[in-house]
Amino acid sequence: MFAMKHYVAPVSQIPDGQRLITTVNGRSIGIFNVKGKFYALRNVCPHKQAPLCLGSLGGTMVPTDRPGEFEYGLEDRVLRCPWHGWEFDIATGKALFGISDRRVATYPVEIEDDKLYVEMR
Amino acid sequence: MAVAPMTKVIDSDVHPWVNGDIEGLKPYLSSAWQERFEGRLRLPDHPLRPPLAGATSIRHDAKPPSGGAGGSDPHFMREDLLDRYNIEYAILSSIQAGKLATLPNANEATVLARAFNDFFVNEWLTVDSRYKLAMCVAVHDPAEAAKEIRRIGHDKGVVAVFMPLLNILMGNRYYFPIYEAAEELGLPVLIHPTGTEGGFETSVSFAGGVPSTYIERHTIFPEIAIGNVVSMVLEGVFVQFPRLKVVVAEFGYTWVPHFLWRLDQNWRQFRREVPWLQHEPSKYLLEHVRFTTQPEEEAEKPEYLLQILEMMHADRTLIFSTDYPHWDNDVPQNTLRHAPETMRQRIFYENAAELYGLA
Repeated sequence: MFAMKHYVAPVSQIPDGQRLITTVNGRSIGIFNVKGKFYALRNVCPHKQAPLCLGSLGGTMVPTDRPGEFEYGLEDRVLRCPWHGWEFDIATGKALFGISDRRVATYPVEIEDDKLYVEMR
Repeated sequence: MAVAPMTKVIDSDVHPWVNGDIEGLKPYLSSAWQERFEGRLRLPDHPLRPPLAGATSIRHDAKPPSGGAGGSDPHFMREDLLDRYNIEYAILSSIQAGKLATLPNANEATVLARAFNDFFVNEWLTVDSRYKLAMCVAVHDPAEAAKEIRRIGHDKGVVAVFMPLLNILMGNRYYFPIYEAAEELGLPVLIHPTGTEGGFETSVSFAGGVPSTYIERHTIFPEIAIGNVVSMVLEGVFVQFPRLKVVVAEFGYTWVPHFLWRLDQNWRQFRREVPWLQHEPSKYLLEHVRFTTQPEEEAEKPEYLLQILEMMHADRTLIFSTDYPHWDNDVPQNTLRHAPETMRQRIFYENAAELYGLA
């Protein structure tokens, strides 16, 4: 099946730091505006089918070498499921740091004038 | 049922006894310490006693002809355990020394641990080279405990470090000096019920409150191991000490699959609390922790037990033990008779041989 371009919303409807949850082509998706860069993901967590895109977006504790040592990183890259807290890379949809090989579907975003489109198969 | 054929056997949980407690340790205490202990030479018993003859956990029929308590005569134990069951090595751990957990005084506990060790090195390891010692330490003073490990841990008869636990979980860095010394000398640390749990202020507490009978406290022993193993894995003890091994003796084992799964499930959710774990927690547990068989768990159907053995990777994680001379001891010929022969060899010999460097 070919990827089809689907119109979502006017770009101005999703200001920086905001998100839009909507249904496109019969699928619930979330579109995030992170400092002017747009990401689109399926709004279904691959773990227990929770509404992933209602989760918090931020950073997380990246792997460290020693017990008791914390390092916060990946700010604005980590989408955390509102149910069990599984963490995904918002850009790739991959679960972070080997917690699972399951991933959430992501969709390319295109902007033409003030119109935001996603590509979906 | 036919008796399963046996190959070689290592018994990872055997309990020697010092008649008279501190009285019997006197030759290994300075005159000043003998004076200090005068009038209180007995180590305390938990008030909830086994409902058995003499209210003791030591088998009545294991009393040596020489007199004294069962387990107190290394010559008799040689006949009654090693020769009778063709045991190649027996790992001695003193549950009597487990009573150190009742002592609120670190100096006393440290001195007695040293005396127990000198007693067993001199009076047991010299009797038969099949005896190997899980030396004890007083965890009341981890720096002194580490010194004790470095003092005698090089002896080739010493193969493990028994830690009678206080009410501090094992992942706590309080214990790290002990782990550092044990790892340095290549000795696994061993935990075992001290028999004092729930009975003394300093001893390990049971979850939820204080049990009121022996049957009750004995039934819930596993919770102590569960809390401590989970604590070690998540706090990163095996990240900090990548060569450290832990023996979990006589705490049961059919609970292991549940905690392998539960650890990983929670890690997928809450990894960010413990970002030092390099991979799923179950892998640390399987790599670093070993469980003893006794008391063999009596599943409703034998096949259930086989399934659990597979789930817990028993061909790597389980090691045989008798618990001689206690009332509930198992003998090799009657233990895990339904397990496949290759797994039995792992459990009865190879896992322990690798663990203690006895191969």
